Amino acid sequence: MNKKLRRRTIIVVYIFLVFVLNSCSTPEERGRLPGDTATDASSTTSAHKVYSIEIKDMKFDPGEITVHKGDTVVWVNHDMVTHCVTEENTKAWTSSNIAAGNSWKMVVQSGADYFCAIHQVMKGKILVE
Amino acid sequence: MKQMKVINAVMVFAMMVFASAYAQVTPKLTDPEIASVAVVANQIDVNYAAIAKAKSKNADVLKFAQTMSDDHTAVIKQAVALVTKLGVTPKDNALSQKLMSGAEKTKKQLSAKSGKAFDKAYIDNEVSYHKTVISTVEKVLIPQSQNAELKKLLQDVVPTLKAHLDHAEMVQKEFAGK
Repeated sequence: MNKKLRRRTIIVVYIFLVFVLNSCSTPEERGRLPGDTATDASSTTSAHKVYSIEIKDMKFDPGEITVHKGDTVVWVNHDMVTHCVTEENTKAWTSSNIAAGNSWKMVVQSGADYFCAIHQVMKGKILVE
Repeated sequence: MKQMKVINAVMVFAMMVFASAYAQVTPKLTDPEIASVAVVANQIDVNYAAIAKAKSKNADVLKFAQTMSDDHTAVIKQAVALVTKLGVTPKDNALSQKLMSGAEKTKKQLSAKSGKAFDKAYIDNEVSYHKTVISTVEKVLIPQSQNAELKKLLQDVVPTLKAHLDHAEMVQKEFAGK
């Protein structure tokens, strides 16, 4: 094998290895630094995460959550009464009624203070970073 | 020495009086009686809400009344489902009768009022009624319930009752500010 052919073979093998290794990792892992860990309360769909907020004992848990634009938040009603999730200041969005045992999800576009319009003392906050 | 004997006698007498008074204000209830109290206490607030929905024109009062009606109906449904599962028949007792007789008086007082006076009386009663029910559930029903599922249901209801109280107090403050 001459010197020129050997060099070409090495380049082709290198490109092949890079392609194979890259396709074995998820997009999330590719963007993560060594030592980073995923948030326990979330799962990942494509590039965005899914966060869960429990509605229990007439409270939103966690009461405050920080997400990225495009992430999904799911509210799960564990109480025995119906709740809802409504943007508090301008009523820009609302879940309508979430019956006991049901859930509702929303893709977050911006931060918001929200409350349960049925039980107005129940409040929560979404922060977008 | 004689003085010490007198003090001891007074202390024993005071303890007997206190024990007797405690026994009178804290009735001993069985699980079927506790189930009856739980259902009656919730039904009373559903009935108050029905009066408010018929008489009030205030949006905050109407919304609050609808929430009381929906939530307490949901609690009754859970309680009935549980006692059916457990094979327990709610049993009428002195405490449920006391709650009902008090409710009859309150219903008459509410029915005699109209307009803003009614709205204020309804919300004031919701504040005091929820305080009474929370105290009864926490100090009488939960400690005395024997069945674990019944005890858990009662414990689960407390946050709902407390949120109702906070909500009623919020509306009460809004009225006071006007």
